[in-house]
Amino acid sequence: MRKLAVDVVVIGGGSTGAGVVRDVAMRGYSTVLVERADLGQGTTGRFHGLLHSGGRYVVSDPLSATECAQENAILTRIQSQAIETTGGYFVTGPDDDPAFADKFLEGAKATGVPAREISVAEALRNEPRLNRRILRAIEVEDGTVDGWQLVWGAANSAKAYGAQVLTYHRVTKIDTADGQVTAVHCTDLKSGEDVLIECGFVLNCAGPWAGQIAAMAGAHPVDVIPGRGIMIAMNHRLVNRVVNRCIYPADGDILVPVHTVSIIGTTDVKVDDPDDLAIEHAEVQQMLDAGEVLIPGFRSSRALHAWAGARPLIKDSRVSSSDTRHMSRGMAVIDHTTRDGLDGMLTIGGGKLTTYRLMAEHIVDAMCEKLGEKRPCRTADEAIPGSESGKNYVVTHRLEEREHDRLDDQIICECELMSRRMFTDALASQPKGTFDDLRRQLRLGMGPCQGGFCSMRATGIALESGHIDIERATGLLRLFLKNRWIGLWPILYGDQVRQTALDNWIFQGTLDVEHLPQPESEVAL
Amino acid sequence: MSRVVVIGAGLAGLVAANRLASAGVGVTLLTKGIGGLQLSQGTIDVLGYAPDRVTNPVLTLSAIASARPGHPYAAIGAAGVHTGIEYLKQLLPDLLVGDAEANYQLPTAVGAIRPTCLVQPSMVAGHLKDGAKVAVVGLRRLKDFHPALVAENLARTTLPDGGRLVARPVSVDVPARDAEVDSSGLTYARAFDDPAFRARFAAALKPLLGDGETVGLPAVLGLKDRTAWSDLADKLGHPVFEIPLPPPSVPGMRLNEALMASAKAAGVRVVNGTRAVSVRVEDGVVKGVTVATAGADREFTADAFVLAAGGFESGALALDSYGTVTETLFGLPLAGLDAGPLVHGDYWGPEQPLFSVGVRVAGDMRVLDGNGAVVHPNLYAAGGIIGGSSRWAEKSGDGIAVGSAVVAADSILEVLA
Repeated sequence: MRKLAVDVVVIGGGSTGAGVVRDVAMRGYSTVLVERADLGQGTTGRFHGLLHSGGRYVVSDPLSATECAQENAILTRIQSQAIETTGGYFVTGPDDDPAFADKFLEGAKATGVPAREISVAEALRNEPRLNRRILRAIEVEDGTVDGWQLVWGAANSAKAYGAQVLTYHRVTKIDTADGQVTAVHCTDLKSGEDVLIECGFVLNCAGPWAGQIAAMAGAHPVDVIPGRGIMIAMNHRLVNRVVNRCIYPADGDILVPVHTVSIIGTTDVKVDDPDDLAIEHAEVQQMLDAGEVLIPGFRSSRALHAWAGARPLIKDSRVSSSDTRHMSRGMAVIDHTTRDGLDGMLTIGGGKLTTYRLMAEHIVDAMCEKLGEKRPCRTADEAIPGSESGKNYVVTHRLEEREHDRLDDQIICECELMSRRMFTDALASQPKGTFDDLRRQLRLGMGPCQGGFCSMRATGIALESGHIDIERATGLLRLFLKNRWIGLWPILYGDQVRQTALDNWIFQGTLDVEHLPQPESEVAL
Repeated sequence: MSRVVVIGAGLAGLVAANRLASAGVGVTLLTKGIGGLQLSQGTIDVLGYAPDRVTNPVLTLSAIASARPGHPYAAIGAAGVHTGIEYLKQLLPDLLVGDAEANYQLPTAVGAIRPTCLVQPSMVAGHLKDGAKVAVVGLRRLKDFHPALVAENLARTTLPDGGRLVARPVSVDVPARDAEVDSSGLTYARAFDDPAFRARFAAALKPLLGDGETVGLPAVLGLKDRTAWSDLADKLGHPVFEIPLPPPSVPGMRLNEALMASAKAAGVRVVNGTRAVSVRVEDGVVKGVTVATAGADREFTADAFVLAAGGFESGALALDSYGTVTETLFGLPLAGLDAGPLVHGDYWGPEQPLFSVGVRVAGDMRVLDGNGAVVHPNLYAAGGIIGGSSRWAEKSGDGIAVGSAVVAADSILEVLA
């Protein structure tokens, strides 16, 4: 058994946990983050990529709107490399109520969300694929954000301040003594080793899984109701700005250009288990219909991949109103002292990716108050490593990079312009990673061919790197193909069928990959 | 006016056009681009798995034909496949060896051992026996072939007829073009056409080879020069075999170019860049096919038509976002749509039913409707448009293509006579 001792254990490696561990570390506490999978593998990696301008909430939730607008400006500065300042439109569809736009503009003014009505002609000039029958258009400062870059950026910043980040560590038990949390037990899933982390405080940032964690500390049941939302990535950027329906927040009301794709979202369906998120046929159809309203011909555009995420909604009757002073909008902090008589633990639920830094600030403030210490938050003042220049992401950046190294390096994934060196560097930093772990940082296999050409190359290069043996290499290829299919088959129509036929032709037809020696058990992580 | 229009220039279309033209019938071959052969592995499969590994394809396909009436082989029949295979060997005597009664078992570019029926001479030494010693050689600048992946998987594989082999990876760095680090298989194939390059390559590789080793190389050993591989083997003093790569497939290009050349020599009129967009049918008889070309659409008329346009991979079949599958040119009735969901989520599980959807044909390759009636008296189908099989999993696509092409051609010849 490995033993560690820290001031604070942060549980959960999504945006909340990453933001919290950064904040905790920057305030001078020793800390470790534990995550049962990879960073950003849960809810954070399964959203549509929107960095809110606040526009979405100017009517329904004005305080959220203001928070979003402020945090948007901060993140665009401190995590510039993860964020593209696309701008956004709120457009009134042909059958939407045009009066909502008036409420929108009033709300924007009242909440400090920058917004300006533009002519329909101007909107159509800038976004020629938009429905020509839209009635009104309002320009806002929406951006797009790569959730994985965001989380890894925050984690790397935390590490620079001495934090440890343990991925693939599953929490198995939380020790308490005399009504105080004393230690967290986890298992290193890659090695099977048990790890004991003695600590003075636990911040439970496990999102949809927060109830399971709280139960380990013996707290009263925390009622987490995961809300499933599905997203579909369409090939190419059908729009270059975020396009929102100018209506009260609803399903399928947004199209977000992220990297080389555009993502339509989303739905909201209550589910029982955040680990079992189906991508229902009816919801896919609903998204495609919604896409048609914004972009005529949407259904005949090529869908590449679909996924589902679980919103971490906490409905907890035991949260007293006095606990809300440290809360961001949409966020719930459960104070286990007042609720369960348990010191040294706070549980955080809800929240939005755009306000993840602010949520972290509030939570860590709450912790400091409990510990009777005054340590100010500095996370808004300092850029995370890699974003010091303040230069924002642009979609063409890889094109530029490949122009520079095309004579020295191979392109392993043509769809996403991933070079061989990018892959080998990422592998060296995460030698136990799966190809999906590497994908989240590199976009390996996320383009139109969905791994058809690059995954065999990745397997060969990974094997040659010496980090893994042939059984794992072959197992990782099998796992990657299987995982790609999870997001492919629910949206398999149109040109992606043709691509899939070609991919099957390559993998079954030419490579006979299904007749490689069968593993005794499949590689799972 | 040609007497027959063939739509599609993959293996099926090229074989059908060759057979018709060599019998003296005027044939027009319409193709929107280059056919599917260069997406293929460049061998001729007949039947590889059923679902166990097949050693005698024609014998096994007879069993399939009687057990599965919806399978293309039930319509084509063992005799049709046999005729097709013999005809193809006769068309390409320098490029294909083997016979319909036996499969080769050849390594793939991930190190699996894949059954296939006719192979190119440059691949024959890849049919490995117990105790074989293999050096799998990769080119550092060719990213579609990773020798360790091939060698280490081969080394842990029990050969189909029992026994094991010894395999090790070797890497060499011989640029195909100066200063280029990311060369395609085609670029290398063109380099291997040059005897001077082969000499340079052999000089770099030979010192790395051990006694008694057979040398496995990516299938890039020459595009035009059919002796490139044997010349290299001579220079190395070791047996050499080619391992097919993902597209672009050099062995597939060799087949494509040879079949296209023989078709043109036999008098086939090849009209490239012509996507067929609509058809004219009168009283049930297909009168013409209209193609989209620059300027104006153009109709080609004929007495008989062969639809050899492929399946989903080419766009001849399409699935729309509402779940409707169509044959995109004639709107033909399709089989395989009523067996439940067309796709499922288990990647390594049973075959996806979608990719078995296609037209059903009679024994003369005329297209049938759901009641078993001929749809158009002068419309024949060949190749991937015919449903009822999991071509890539079975390794049966080429046998279906060649068999259906010769049966369709022979049926047409009979009618026209």
